[in-house]
Amino acid sequence: MDINLLKRLVKVVEQSNITEFSVQEGDLKIKISKNSKQSVNTVISQPINPVVQTAEPVAAQEPKAKEEEVNTNYHEIRSPIVGTFYRAPAPDADTYVQVGDIVSVGSVLCIVEAMKLMNEIESDADGKIVKILVENATPVEYNQPLFLIEKT
Amino acid sequence: MSAFTFKLEEMDIKLDTEYIGTNFIFYDELNSTNERLLTDDSIKQHGTVLLTENQFVGRGRMGRKWISEKDLSLTFSILLTEDVDSKNINIVNLGASLAVAKSMENLYQLDVNLKWPNDILISNRKVSGILVESITKGNRFEKVVVGIGINVNQPVFEGKLLIPPTSVRKEFGRPVKRERVLSEVLNEFESILEQIKTDPKGVLDSWRSRCNWIGEKVKVINGSDELVGLFDDIDSDGFLLLQQKDGTKKIINGDVSLRKT
Repeated sequence: MDINLLKRLVKVVEQSNITEFSVQEGDLKIKISKNSKQSVNTVISQPINPVVQTAEPVAAQEPKAKEEEVNTNYHEIRSPIVGTFYRAPAPDADTYVQVGDIVSVGSVLCIVEAMKLMNEIESDADGKIVKILVENATPVEYNQPLFLIEKT
Repeated sequence: MSAFTFKLEEMDIKLDTEYIGTNFIFYDELNSTNERLLTDDSIKQHGTVLLTENQFVGRGRMGRKWISEKDLSLTFSILLTEDVDSKNINIVNLGASLAVAKSMENLYQLDVNLKWPNDILISNRKVSGILVESITKGNRFEKVVVGIGINVNQPVFEGKLLIPPTSVRKEFGRPVKRERVLSEVLNEFESILEQIKTDPKGVLDSWRSRCNWIGEKVKVINGSDELVGLFDDIDSDGFLLLQQKDGTKKIINGDVSLRKT
């Protein structure tokens, strides 16, 4: 599913008088429902693809829950650099944040390390961490989304 | 006051910069110069240099320690609040080690080897280490703190360390002035920062020409990951290109060592 298409759909529903919208494309079902004036909820359900893709490395085949909620009130924290994502300041230390934590502008969320440079990423929004999008100690690309924050 | 006590005025005479070190802070003792510049929001000026004689909690990568010695080593950090962005941050990082290397050459004609990404070695021993830490908010680099430790006048080193250490004094043959080393590093670093704005490729070339391990067989360890290959080059972002049988791999992080064959 193209994320931009999804964003456009959410926007269309948001700006219209429709309160519920659903579409099916093959196995993929998308249901967008509006339960308040501001927020739009999107539920995507897609069965896990049973076809083994031999070209992909094994690690990439971890089954992932395909159920995601997209809310226009959500804010993405993206990586400003290419590097390795760490949720804690040192291997044996506590993580900076967990899902459910309330953060404010300036709260440290994670470290991305590149060439020994340790870059602390601070939140640029007030809100609640609703999702951590990257596994600890894995590589991230420039501009890759790391956290979803529900803005307050 | 011993003969080795740091004299600010001697450093200042040789300092020839527009912004690096024009705001200069000295602490007799401090937990960590990097930590102070990162956390003290009252220190804002671009180019501020913070020097301490006694650093109690010197930091290295992933919680490793940096050991400094009063009156003998140089332990300082440089604060950058402008002109750093996602595109040039890695070159600033490499540029810091380049500044130290050039200073060693200019002042003492020492033969320096840069170990990726930013250790400074003489005869395969570590004379200086660098730890850059930064804070970003959104896409903006709020602070970049370049921490530099240089072994200047230590006559001996005790204990077993990760990489065997050396000092400028040991390599040059006699004690040198720490004030002169510091001013030279700051002068070189500012001129490299200026060159990054107009000619980042030239900075990478200067770095490359001082990296003796390019073309050698190396081992790269990152956590539990261990790779062996040929150190082919650094790319335009400063990342290490490791040539292996099945192609070239871009290394973002890791400890590089020469592989003995």
